[in-house]
Amino acid sequence: MLSSKIQVSVKYCGSCNPLIDLAKLGNALKEALSQDNDLTLVPPESARIDIMLILCGCPRACGNKEEIRARAARSIVVAGETVDLVPTPEKDISAAIMKKLKSG
Amino acid sequence: MGMIRGDEYRERLQRVKPEIYYLGEKIESVATHPAFLPHVNAVALTYDMAWAPEFEELLTTKSHLTGEKINIFTHIHHSTADLVQKVKALRALGQQTGSCFARCVGHDALNAIYSVTYDMDQKNGTEYHQRFLNFLKEVQAKDLFISGAMTDPKGDRSLSPSEQADPDQYLHVVEKRRDGIVVRGAKAHITGAVNALGHLVMPTTSMKEADADFAVCFYVPVDAPGLIHIFGRQTNDERKCGCLIDQGNVEYGIVGGEALVVFDDVFVPWEHVFMCGEYDFVFELVERFATAHRQNYGGCKVGLSDALIGATYALAEVQGTAKASHIRDKLVEMVHLAETLYCCSLACSCQGYALPAGNFMADPLLANVTKLNVTRHIYEIARLAQDIAGGILATLPSEIDWQDSRVGKYVDKYLKGVASVPAETRMRLLRLIEGMTCGTALVESMHGAGSPQAQKIMIMRRANWEHKKRLAQKLAKIRERPK
Repeated sequence: MLSSKIQVSVKYCGSCNPLIDLAKLGNALKEALSQDNDLTLVPPESARIDIMLILCGCPRACGNKEEIRARAARSIVVAGETVDLVPTPEKDISAAIMKKLKSG
Repeated sequence: MGMIRGDEYRERLQRVKPEIYYLGEKIESVATHPAFLPHVNAVALTYDMAWAPEFEELLTTKSHLTGEKINIFTHIHHSTADLVQKVKALRALGQQTGSCFARCVGHDALNAIYSVTYDMDQKNGTEYHQRFLNFLKEVQAKDLFISGAMTDPKGDRSLSPSEQADPDQYLHVVEKRRDGIVVRGAKAHITGAVNALGHLVMPTTSMKEADADFAVCFYVPVDAPGLIHIFGRQTNDERKCGCLIDQGNVEYGIVGGEALVVFDDVFVPWEHVFMCGEYDFVFELVERFATAHRQNYGGCKVGLSDALIGATYALAEVQGTAKASHIRDKLVEMVHLAETLYCCSLACSCQGYALPAGNFMADPLLANVTKLNVTRHIYEIARLAQDIAGGILATLPSEIDWQDSRVGKYVDKYLKGVASVPAETRMRLLRLIEGMTCGTALVESMHGAGSPQAQKIMIMRRANWEHKKRLAQKLAKIRERPK
């Protein structure tokens, strides 16, 4: 039976010279998703991904590739201290992403 | 209308009547005056090369606004490929002119203002971006050459704009009317100011609320009433009048042609005002313009270096030193230094990224590293060229004496190098190297697009210090103590 929860996956850019702590951000999101009733974290290889979180360490956003975005109906791109190009301080990025995920 | 050719640009210059002064003379026509002709020629080439099949791929692109084919110097970058193309175009142009060709400054201003007007509107609900788009369409349709005017005279550097004893040390708004604003002040070192068709004016430093009147960005045509241009002297500029060989770079001169531009209560209609009081967006505008402009220097200056290295190698052959191992080593070092700069410009372009307005900007940290390296490498390249050239670079008799009926034969005889090459060839190469490595040309590499300390400030801001510290702490097994 298919999960009724929104399936969220995370893909990293590769972290060559990150301006933000991607591991810390990833862990914070993992924790937040595990406690959420409507969202669930799935691997990037999953057959069904509803929302792809692309986490990039700097504005270059190397992880924001067409083939990554194509795996899901919707993507959210973190690129350094921005979320979908909106300037966001590092401490607020996790909350900003969760707000976007919950807003559908 | 779309893309124009160099001749149309020259005709436009004849039609405008800007107020220009040089050596105490009011200049009637920059298009024909020998002091300005080299700069006009260099800009004209940016138009003509766009029509040449061998350069078309670099110097033209498609407008994201209209889909029309346009000259690259009116384009808004929309990918890292666009940023790379700009660098390559600048190198190709620099190779052909051996000098500054001035169009990049206005181009970089267009890109910076495009993004910042969008950001201001998003935050404040203003209408600057649409206003700017209307202007940009006109620039692209007419293929306009506009200068980018940022640097204020600055007066006392320890004081902010609003703290200056003389407020005119920073350009500012003195009156707001229903139909526009009136501005007063000046912009210094403005490349291409005398042979542009207009100026895109931007503030020069980050500002506080008290500086709001100085936070102003706009466009003015070059012949707007109250606009006065005072052209700067260049090293050996008297050689532009009557000399051929002694000019070195006969057709294109040694730099971009800089001027002090005075705004003596100049009126600007609202349709050409792109910032007026938004002091909190000035830093963003300055940084984006500086990034775009510093990105360039590993393109154009490398093109110039290609020509300089070629002149130095050819001179070594003429002087019979080209096969000496130390000369070859120095030539290789010149190439290494130049190509390192090219790597920097390509790298900051490849690492460029999208801004909220959708246009792309080069990586600011790497762009500043590029320009900082230019302040060093170009000097070292010049030093090596002078080393290889020898002392004759500074003691070469003039072309007038070479043509003299009494002493000309001696100049010709004793300036000869290898037997198969005439002395004139050696003289021409020496003068070209002299022009490219002495005086004004070098200072442009130091201070153009901002002085070295400006780059260091940006590098300081952009370096990821905490990340570097964490890496070290991890390697050294240092546990951070809870605060």
